[in-house]
Amino acid sequence: MIAGRTTIDVSDLPTTTFGHRDLAWWGTIGFILIEGTTLVIVAMVYFYLRRNFAQWPPPRTAPPDLLPGILQVGVMALSWWPVALLDRAARRLDRGAVRRWLVVCTLFAIAFCVLRGFEFAGLNVRWSTNAYGSVNWAVLVTHATLILAEALEIIVITAVFFTPRVTERHFSDASDTAPYWYFLTGSWVLLAAMIYLVPRFWTSP
Amino acid sequence: MTDVAAPPRLAAERIGSAAPAPDVAELERTWHERGGFWGWLTTVDHKSVAKRYIITAFGFFLLGGILAAAMRLQLSRPENTVLGPDRYNQFFSTHGTTMMFLFAVPVMYSLGLYLVPLMVGTRNVAYPRLNSYGYYTYLVGGLFLWVSLVLNTGPDTGWFSYVPLAGPEYSPGKRVDVWGQAVTFTEIAALVAAVEIIATAFKMRAPGLSLHRLPLFVWAQIVTAFMIIFAMPWVAVASQLLPLERLVGTHFFNPAEGGDALLWQHLFWFFGHPEVYIIFIPALGIVSQVVTTFSRRQIVAYPAMVLALVATGVLAFGLWVHHMFATGLPQMGMSFFTAASALIAVPTGIQFFCWIATLWSGRPRLEVPLLFILGFVVVFMIGGLSGVMVASVPWDLQVHDTFFVVAHLHYVLLGGGVFPLFAGFYYWFPKFTGRMLSPALGRLNFWLFFIGVNLTFFPMHELGIDGMPRRVYTYLAATGWGGLNLLASIGATIIALSVITFLANVAWSLREGDVAGPNPWEADTLEWGTASPPPPYNFAELPVVEGRGGLWSRSEARPVVTGLRSDLREVLVTTVLDAVPDHLHFQPSPSVWPLLAALATGVLFISGIFTPWGFVVGAALVTLALVGWAWPRGKELEDQRRQEQRA
Amino acid sequence: MTRDWLQSALEAAGIQSARLLPLWRFMWIVSIVVFVLVVAAALWAVARHRRDAAPPPSERGMTRAILGATALTIATLFAFLVLDFSTGRAITRVPHNPLVIRLTGHQWWWEVEYDDSIPQRHLRTANEIHVPVGRPVLFQLESGDVIHSFWVPSLAGKKDQIPGKENSVWFQADTAGIYRGQCAEFCGYQHAKMALLVIAVPPDSFSKWYDSQLQPAAPPADSIAARGQSVFVSSACVMCHTIEGTQAGSNVGPPLTHIASRRTIAAGTLENTRGNLAGWIVDPQRIKPGANMPPNGLSSADLNALLTYLEGLR
Repeated sequence: MIAGRTTIDVSDLPTTTFGHRDLAWWGTIGFILIEGTTLVIVAMVYFYLRRNFAQWPPPRTAPPDLLPGILQVGVMALSWWPVALLDRAARRLDRGAVRRWLVVCTLFAIAFCVLRGFEFAGLNVRWSTNAYGSVNWAVLVTHATLILAEALEIIVITAVFFTPRVTERHFSDASDTAPYWYFLTGSWVLLAAMIYLVPRFWTSP
Repeated sequence: MTDVAAPPRLAAERIGSAAPAPDVAELERTWHERGGFWGWLTTVDHKSVAKRYIITAFGFFLLGGILAAAMRLQLSRPENTVLGPDRYNQFFSTHGTTMMFLFAVPVMYSLGLYLVPLMVGTRNVAYPRLNSYGYYTYLVGGLFLWVSLVLNTGPDTGWFSYVPLAGPEYSPGKRVDVWGQAVTFTEIAALVAAVEIIATAFKMRAPGLSLHRLPLFVWAQIVTAFMIIFAMPWVAVASQLLPLERLVGTHFFNPAEGGDALLWQHLFWFFGHPEVYIIFIPALGIVSQVVTTFSRRQIVAYPAMVLALVATGVLAFGLWVHHMFATGLPQMGMSFFTAASALIAVPTGIQFFCWIATLWSGRPRLEVPLLFILGFVVVFMIGGLSGVMVASVPWDLQVHDTFFVVAHLHYVLLGGGVFPLFAGFYYWFPKFTGRMLSPALGRLNFWLFFIGVNLTFFPMHELGIDGMPRRVYTYLAATGWGGLNLLASIGATIIALSVITFLANVAWSLREGDVAGPNPWEADTLEWGTASPPPPYNFAELPVVEGRGGLWSRSEARPVVTGLRSDLREVLVTTVLDAVPDHLHFQPSPSVWPLLAALATGVLFISGIFTPWGFVVGAALVTLALVGWAWPRGKELEDQRRQEQRA
Repeated sequence: MTRDWLQSALEAAGIQSARLLPLWRFMWIVSIVVFVLVVAAALWAVARHRRDAAPPPSERGMTRAILGATALTIATLFAFLVLDFSTGRAITRVPHNPLVIRLTGHQWWWEVEYDDSIPQRHLRTANEIHVPVGRPVLFQLESGDVIHSFWVPSLAGKKDQIPGKENSVWFQADTAGIYRGQCAEFCGYQHAKMALLVIAVPPDSFSKWYDSQLQPAAPPADSIAARGQSVFVSSACVMCHTIEGTQAGSNVGPPLTHIASRRTIAAGTLENTRGNLAGWIVDPQRIKPGANMPPNGLSSADLNALLTYLEGLR
């Protein structure tokens, strides 16, 4: 015992928190900022190269097929519901509900990947044809790496929740999925508008 | 299980006076890093990782310096033949790439990785394993670049790799791909470090260390971290698009297929200009700490200093076009960038005035660190003033891409980067090692460096005005540039002597230097409130901060935090603005997975330049490494459970 | 080679470079004043050894001083901007009726083309630009490969030659003389040996020069020169070079129709002497490693004949 000192006792502070109180959440936000900046740059490259073309898409090139694009955006919008429920279930440490919504989210993440495949097939141009093709592929590939990373993450978290290894920390991780998920899908709505609508409604300068 | 929904209680309710003495032996066991080679590979202690970063970065500084010396030898007389064009071009490209990506930026944020946790009073950085991953990624990138140079496949299109010269048609072979991927590794490392520093500085501060009390060095690191986050992705995109152009035949930069050569320059300089400030702003942080300590008073106009740092960071993003004045962009647009370039002199000026006022009103002690700060004032002033000159479009059209700009940028980077770095090194060496550097050798180090830098670079202003372009491996005797070039080469020799003096000082002082004790300079900030070098857990008891002064304003009965567990790696997380204790966070222990993940990243980017399948294999390996990293198991899992079940 | 040229931004020989001199003087003087003031203040602040007993200066007074210094900084920068913008505007304004020259950068030489409305008066040459004194010259800048940058310091600032982008720059030589310039954008291996000369002469000499350059190549003067011509058209030379009036008509390398009238060879690298020319033809890679000209294993008789022929191409 050391007498006469002022102390602040922190021993009964909580060990698990959610959202901005949680340390890991800040890491997630950091990576959202980095990846968001990257997507903004790719979009700027798109519009920069757009200026070099009298016609967009260039002659004898069909604009990207709408169907896979619409499906992707629709499925992504739908996925907000299970993600919100996952977040809520995690915050109340409801393991059964978290498991359920993790599985649903995993299925959605896999659906994103499959639909992305159809989006590539529906671009109607190769990356090596011209700068139009290159930049369309660049947008899709850049965003696809984020989808793949998120799919991997959600699969690992889901797997952990089906083992006895789960701790409270993992509920916080499951909850942290939500902001990243909103970023991933929200950013695609904007990029899809660019990829699918610019070649239809802004074809000449 | 604790009540996870409970709001953090106010600090006032927790204040007591009966404190059990901390169990230092148990803390030591908990935070101790395993010895031996395995312990060395797996460490997640921010001090070990940062020290490694600093030493590696300094190693690259020496290597880059050797290239510079070789170039100065080649240019010391006209039509010299020591280095042919092929070797010279590889040397200047690798010199620039090394000094910017492998030395200056990493050494600055690694000082942050060492000092920020200590300055804010916590036990480690926010994500210790990620931190270790960042270091290994950086190391892989640096070695890749240098092994390539030794194998005669070093980059030869400059640190800026302008297309179409760096494109598939005019640079066949792998040299440019080496550049692109080496740069990619350093981007990853810098981005990781930025996230570490932001989370650590925002969420792990000692109770009471609210943002308006934060040391200026930490502020500088925060501003830099945000700059890294918004600037590095530009070069990351660029350094991926360029290999794609070369490997799979995209057309981003090919005007024949709708691409654009200037697109590259925009991408590169939107990163490249902030990059200079990513080096300069942490240096400003060092200057502020050293000036404070050796003036023996708090900095004058602290709020203005913080605002100036933030303003510099923001304005730095509005300057990139001043690297492109000669490309024929519209005059009106360029005027905007001239104005922005002139404007950034204002916050820098404000900081100079505040430092001078601090010295003026304090009782300065001219120790070696302050000597280097005075060197910084002189050398950086010259670089700053020539910087305003090159912001002028008409003047820049004359001196752009000439030795005038070589002079300018070295005055800025050596003045605004290396002088403060030396100051910081002399200042914090006792904290890193427990021993003082020799002041006598320090003064010799300073004077040789000061004379050498000015002798090397001042004549280059004149060479540039007289028409000598940059990046030339030789010049005709009849140009009359020989004399000034010889002078510059003599200066380079003196710089080399200075660096050798520094190395000798470090080598000698590590064994024979005076033992420093916790606070040899009687400084104020929290890192001086623990042993030198700090124990693995940094502080036996986390400090509580009561005012802007850390140590100067603390009473005898220093308030401390109690209740953190010493039997497992637990850190205190506080609120962003006011640093009120919020919750307790469990930190992971040493692990080999960061190293494996970095190696997998290495396979991904390096084998990817030889075959697209390399990307596929590498991506699979990275996936495996990340799963292995994240999978909960072993003692770690038990410790996590124990931490959560404390109540 | 001896230096008989000007190559300095401060040795202005034309209005475009001369316009910079007041701006330069302003920046130079202000820089010295600012430098001396700041460094002196910093040194004195450290050196003056305030006594411990002396009361510290008031924070209020220091804040005022800092504000004052900041205001002064802003005012100085404002003056700089005004002077800079007015100089910039003057430099960009393109004058009427300039002589138009298309200048194309190649790895590692300059292709010079004088435009004329009469196709027969279109002139193509290399590495040496003759201009009339007192008349503005507008350069249309192009690139045949990578980015180069055209810069003749005594006459004007530089401008990049970027593939896929149209750039231009103009200057006017106000005194007769020779003005040297070097490529100012790193363009690969031989960036260092890519120089050019601007030769400013009075308008009537310029017209004379122009007319003589329009002539086809001089026919061989003797049998040795005739043999040289046949060496030229039957060896690798003909793959890249043009000599008007012969079968040699390739535009890959510099035109050689009047090679003997030029002062330098290899883009400003060597003085145009018989010895240098011989060394260059036999082994260009020794002089300019990486240049796109192969070594030529000619017999000494053939080489001699070739040199005699080329020396006759005035």
